[in-house]
Amino acid sequence: MLENVVTFAFDILSFTSVMVLIVLGLGVIASMMGIFNFAHGEFVLLGGYTAFLTQDAGLNPWWGIVLAPLIVGLIGLLLERSVIQKFYATPIIAMLGTYAIGLVIREIIRSLLGGHYKSVSEPWPGFFTVGRLDFSIWRTLIIAITVSVIIVSWLLLTKTAIGLRIRGSLENPMLARACGISTGQLYALTFAYGSALAGLAGALIVPLYQLSADMGLRFLVQGFLSVMLGGVGTFEGPVVGAAAVGALAASLPWLVLPVLADPLVFLIALAFVKVRPQGFVGKGRT
Amino acid sequence: MSQEYATQRQSGGVTRRRFLTGASALASAGWVAGSAGGWLLRPERASAATPIKVGIATDITGALAPFGNANWQVAQFVVTEINQQGNILGQPIELRLEDTASDPKVAIGNVRKLIQEYRADVVLGGITSAMRQAIKDPIVNRGRTLYIYPQLYEGQECTKHLYCTGPTPAQQCDELIPYLIKKQGRKRFAMPSANYVWPQLLNKYARKVIEAHGGEVVFEEYYPLDQPEYSATIAKIRVGKVDCVFNTIIPPGLQPFVKQLYESGFQRDGGMISCLYYDENLLNYHPAQEMDGLFSCLDYFQSIKDPFSEGLQERYNKMFPGTKYLFTAGVASTGMYRGIKFYEAAVKATNGDLSREAVSAAIDKATLASGPGGGAQMVPGKMHCKMNMYVARCKAEGNKTHYDIIGKYDMVDPKEC
Repeated sequence: MLENVVTFAFDILSFTSVMVLIVLGLGVIASMMGIFNFAHGEFVLLGGYTAFLTQDAGLNPWWGIVLAPLIVGLIGLLLERSVIQKFYATPIIAMLGTYAIGLVIREIIRSLLGGHYKSVSEPWPGFFTVGRLDFSIWRTLIIAITVSVIIVSWLLLTKTAIGLRIRGSLENPMLARACGISTGQLYALTFAYGSALAGLAGALIVPLYQLSADMGLRFLVQGFLSVMLGGVGTFEGPVVGAAAVGALAASLPWLVLPVLADPLVFLIALAFVKVRPQGFVGKGRT
Repeated sequence: MSQEYATQRQSGGVTRRRFLTGASALASAGWVAGSAGGWLLRPERASAATPIKVGIATDITGALAPFGNANWQVAQFVVTEINQQGNILGQPIELRLEDTASDPKVAIGNVRKLIQEYRADVVLGGITSAMRQAIKDPIVNRGRTLYIYPQLYEGQECTKHLYCTGPTPAQQCDELIPYLIKKQGRKRFAMPSANYVWPQLLNKYARKVIEAHGGEVVFEEYYPLDQPEYSATIAKIRVGKVDCVFNTIIPPGLQPFVKQLYESGFQRDGGMISCLYYDENLLNYHPAQEMDGLFSCLDYFQSIKDPFSEGLQERYNKMFPGTKYLFTAGVASTGMYRGIKFYEAAVKATNGDLSREAVSAAIDKATLASGPGGGAQMVPGKMHCKMNMYVARCKAEGNKTHYDIIGKYDMVDPKEC
């Protein structure tokens, strides 16, 4: 019995990490720049597609993990400089605009895949054994990478000079500009960083799922719920929100009919947001 | 070709988008865009006889494109062979395609074109049950046209003049489940399923067969089609000491489930998976080791060794070299083959009378001596056909997988209507 509890807990933890990993990039962009990137799911998809291409080309699959954040980050940077920077003043238009970008990416990938699903194998397959229990190495690695990415991002934001400037621009963009900080450049960097995180997430999780054009779409709604639940405007908020949504989504089907689990996650989250509109983690950082 | 190009330019009805969408599917020579959208294959040799008009309505674009394109290629393949072998009683077949776009709302309008403009003598196609339900009314009732549905499905379609040429739940379960219980010693079944009509009705039938043979269903659960996470399901399988997973989860929810099940050590501890729609296409959807030992039951597998099926496969691959759309049972290739062949047999029986009542009465008694996996025989008055069924087991060797045929069952009854 104890074994079952431990493996179930591990499975929940592993899915929670996947959620957090996906939401990180979304949260960084939403909190730091004040726009919701509806193309985030497709950035995740692009990361997965990069991993698939490296596998297809016969390269060492680790290249996929390394290249995905670089390539998707670069795509994010180009998109920010060309299109997205025009949306900052109008967050609603930004949602529609990024959604359109996402749609274009999704349909291009769909035609490249011919509508098929593709399997991408783990760079490090197999299990390790503790006592009588087996754990998937790749899922464990995802948990570890998620924790390290959170720590690195947090340090970057709170302990470095660039983090200070980002926080300053977030607090008061006018004053930041007056102090000689190029907020435009900072936003571009932040957007590229958020995109790179999405690319990394895509390459890491694609072995757990199938590569298909709709891969990012299924996480998008849960991702937004996480950001809302955790609270916009902080780094920790979306992370905590994603952890809550991931754990709920994975464990609820044990208690209720699986088809009810998804709506129930929404109900719980909406009820919570009603009671505590600022989310788990209060207001912006002080 | 040039004359047909002229037709196309005059009509102006072909949009650039439609042209691009269809062009890839229509690489083979002789195909031209029809006068009002859709695609038309005229018989190669000019003939005085008026052609028999066969309409194909299938999902060329959208989520079900891999199925629809396979169906369309099979239709071209079969019709080209019939025309090369001297037509039906001297009358050549003309094929016309309309895209149902994986969307019943779009489909209805396009299918009406097949009936009202093109005046097809028979329509074949549809993959999902939702699509069949949507297009059967414009074809069979209001359109007064014969309709043949090629895909394996959940049964219970008993509309007059609508013939189903794919396997039914009885054909897929009646041999496989007793085999799993008696020969493989399976007792405790789990039924994880996607939440739509096929799994629900199939499970209802399968549960009866399982219980009649002394097995037990530990749980039957339905998930959203794109559920990415199955921790709770895996835990239930473990706690419930399930020894056979009877899976009806479909992509995109399928792959994470199979992976999590594999990672949980289910197969290594002696568990088995069976899945009724697994064909050669699905082999590429998972890493080989996750597929090893999976049981499927279909009317045809590429590893079947009979000269007719092997010849068919070879000629199909020759007509579409390197195609992404394989000739397999799970994507209704076999049902499409049978459908057109049944129609051919029926028109021969009526001596060229193409009226719906006459052809329908002839199909009702039609028999095919040969086909992929063997012949087929319509059960009179039942609109479904008897066919050979095969139980197969997936075998992984390195990174490659194939199906080993475990058992062949002759002329299994569809038990419908």
